Amino acid sequence: MTQTAFKAGGAAVVAASPPAGRRVRRSAFQRKLFPYLLVAPAVCYLLMITLYPGVYAIYQSFFFVRFNEWIPAGFDNYVELFQHDEFWGALWNTFVIGGIALTLECVIALALAYYAYRDPLIRGWRIVFLLPMLFMPSAVAFIWKLAFADGRVISDLLMRVGLITENIDFLGVVWNARLTLIVADVWQWTPFLFIIFVAALQAQDKEIEEAARLDGASWSAIFWNISLPLMKPVIAVAVILRGIDITTMFANVFIMTQGTPGGTTETISFFIYRMGFRTFNFGYASAASAVMLILTLIIAQLLLKRFFRSGRA
Amino acid sequence: MAEIELRNVRKQWGAVVGVNDVNLTITDEEFLVLLGPSGCGKTTTMRMIAGLEDPSAGDVVIDGEVVNEVDARDRDVAMVFQSYALYPNMTIYENIRFPLRMRDVPKARHAELVQRAAEMVELGDYLHRKPGALSGGQRQRAALARAIVRQPHVFLMDEPLSNLDAKLRTAMRVQLKHLQRQLKITTVYVTHDQVEAMTLADRIVIMDGGEIQQIGTPDEIYTDPANTFVAGFIGSPPMNLIGGRLEGGSFTAPGIRVDGLGENAGARNAILGVRPEDCHVVGAPAHFNAKIFAIEPMGDQTVVSLSTDGHLVEVRAARDYRAPLDSMAHISFDLDRLYLFDETSGERLR
Amino acid sequence: MALRRRSGENLALRYVILCAWALVCLVPILWFLSIGFRPRTEIITPQPIYWPTFSLDAWHMIWDDWPMANYLRNSLLAIAGSVVIDLVLAVPAAYSLARYNYKGREDIGFYILSTRMMAPAIVAIPIFFLFKGLGLLDTVWALMLVYAAINLSVVTWIIRSYMMDIPHELEDAARTDGASDLRILWEIVIPICLPGIITAAVIAAIFAINEFLFTLLIASTKNAYTMSVALANFTGGSDGKIYNAIALVSFLAFVPVFLLVVFIQKHLSRGLTLGALKG
Repeated sequence: MTQTAFKAGGAAVVAASPPAGRRVRRSAFQRKLFPYLLVAPAVCYLLMITLYPGVYAIYQSFFFVRFNEWIPAGFDNYVELFQHDEFWGALWNTFVIGGIALTLECVIALALAYYAYRDPLIRGWRIVFLLPMLFMPSAVAFIWKLAFADGRVISDLLMRVGLITENIDFLGVVWNARLTLIVADVWQWTPFLFIIFVAALQAQDKEIEEAARLDGASWSAIFWNISLPLMKPVIAVAVILRGIDITTMFANVFIMTQGTPGGTTETISFFIYRMGFRTFNFGYASAASAVMLILTLIIAQLLLKRFFRSGRA
Repeated sequence: MAEIELRNVRKQWGAVVGVNDVNLTITDEEFLVLLGPSGCGKTTTMRMIAGLEDPSAGDVVIDGEVVNEVDARDRDVAMVFQSYALYPNMTIYENIRFPLRMRDVPKARHAELVQRAAEMVELGDYLHRKPGALSGGQRQRAALARAIVRQPHVFLMDEPLSNLDAKLRTAMRVQLKHLQRQLKITTVYVTHDQVEAMTLADRIVIMDGGEIQQIGTPDEIYTDPANTFVAGFIGSPPMNLIGGRLEGGSFTAPGIRVDGLGENAGARNAILGVRPEDCHVVGAPAHFNAKIFAIEPMGDQTVVSLSTDGHLVEVRAARDYRAPLDSMAHISFDLDRLYLFDETSGERLR
Repeated sequence: MALRRRSGENLALRYVILCAWALVCLVPILWFLSIGFRPRTEIITPQPIYWPTFSLDAWHMIWDDWPMANYLRNSLLAIAGSVVIDLVLAVPAAYSLARYNYKGREDIGFYILSTRMMAPAIVAIPIFFLFKGLGLLDTVWALMLVYAAINLSVVTWIIRSYMMDIPHELEDAARTDGASDLRILWEIVIPICLPGIITAAVIAAIFAINEFLFTLLIASTKNAYTMSVALANFTGGSDGKIYNAIALVSFLAFVPVFLLVVFIQKHLSRGLTLGALKG
């Protein structure tokens, strides 16, 4: 029996072969290329939505865009961006609103996880606490917009219990408006952290806990001295993921405040959107995008490699 | 029907050398065991034969053809793994059938071949189950059936019995040996268990530090060890290795004097090797006199440990032998069963 | 406090806290649900009404006066299509990242993950012009492509994590049994990590339902409006919003998400951490 064997380069060589089995040769080149071929489609797809837009945004940021007319602008867009308070204001708003919301979410989720994870009803708590997360963000924005709206439920209830005497203007006062955004975010996304923290606590080695119990430690001592330090990597991953989403907050701002009053609730995402699609100042918006893109790349480099170690065996 | 040859095969990862310059010929229908401690390179050697690992240098030759470039799937070898590596998503029937499907064996023959393989390992009743529903021994047999179903050129077995309990392991050992004789398929078997190696092998290859220490039949390995590593690795309890001085045909060490060891010219340091069963407890001072350190009755024999110059020498005594600790014992050696090794290289002095 | 156990933990405090948060979760949801079943007249009053009358006004309105069927169809098509695209791209990519050793593997993996950090707003303008150029604005196709892109990193990393759990010996066995790399992927790896693939698909679907910014930019008529953005379109009431319709549609989207999450409950925390947490 003769068999055809393939040598590197694809030239077919007819070789006398052992009685059974096909011994097909594949070159080292072919074998080395294969994993790249597997990952290539996904990478190309992602390059299309990151590299292309990134380059496009940077390019566009050097123009004044008036409808279909692109007028070279040099660095004017950037100069304008850094000179105007709007951009810095949006950055600050994002940081303040996101920072407060994220801190609150973390504290609440950790406290709830601490009380819930050893509870016999944990499965029930999980489902109930999870519910807010299962609504569309736009729906949650409407829930709280309606609740906070002038004369609506929250003001009304507070008046009924006598805490206030007249309606609170939730959307017209700076910190009140920020508060509504924070409440909506905390309400919806605390479950995200809660679910992860509970799972992390439940996954911990029970023998360590038991050993500590035998050493005379109380549950809270165990939590602070053993469980929490062991959870650190998981907490880091969860907080990073939540932090990414919170800094890109858009739907809530769009639906609840539109950046009012006076742009004090305008997040960076909403700023770019407003500059691009409300004032059609695309070059200017692209300059902001480019700055954010570079910031994102730097932060991604710092955070991801550190906390998403691939954990290969 | 396959002969395997390794020519100057070497495997290294960066600076770490896993297998160093191995030369080995495995003859057709042979049952060859690669034996050694963990990390000795035996599994890497097998994986290179399988094609799961590329040699860094040298050639793997199957039936006269260099197969370095041939993919594992085209080498027509079947492998049994320590963890059995049964596909958990398939039933046992599908597991055993898998190699047939992959090799385009006509569909019509699948049922018959699977049934026959399953019956050879007495697993006929479990074909519809998933691996998760089987005991360790049954899984082991399923893995065997999957290997034999397509009658490969070569069987490769990587510690296939080490996840079984002791009793089952002994039983499976016998089954394996019988099966291999029946199928007449060249088999390479990796283990760290010297009993498995001794009982199964036509020839044993002892490896350490990535290098072959000795190749030989179980008898040769046992009675004619090439160096102190082989001597100390084989045997239970293992051979005693006692450092001392060799001069004018006499070996001396604290508490030991043996004369008439041929005419090794000149004085030198050497290691005397003596197996526990070649030692006899006698009533009067003999080759070796030392205090008793411990006595371990084993039922069919008693192992007596003697303390000399800070290390222990184990001696096999009659089953009813008893003596108080710290009393003196006198041991005589079988003079024609003594081995002398070079002190530095550990090589046998002949 | 009689409720003290040997462990010294205060059980009463535990239940007060847990019950309080359960109320925080449930009360707004139930109240919002009640909004969905109020008559129109009750939602436009300036003062809240705490004991509403039951009405299916909103239900009739969204189907009769609004293109609810279109919203549903668009959401379904865009989400299903995007999940399919994601799986087709992510499964081989995850396999490559989990199983092969090659130069640049770690960097490629982190590049994929880093796209998760990109704020949608940053790429919104170029993407808008890209689809404008392609003539895909206001189509479900554009949404499908965008949703797939947003979720690809997440899907890839989740599946990769599950694939890394498969013992190497299984693949070695399959290889010596004669299977090619692709058949190993198809016959061994994919079936074994199916729970991970399903988890990834569910999480991608939920993110796609939630997506707002891109949909807002791409969709401009009922051709492409999804439920998420359609909410903002129910305008016409006293304060500009038809809240009973909004609430009802919110719950229409909530129900499938809830069922999906219950279905993958065991894998949820692992999925949400992109595989970092093996529960």
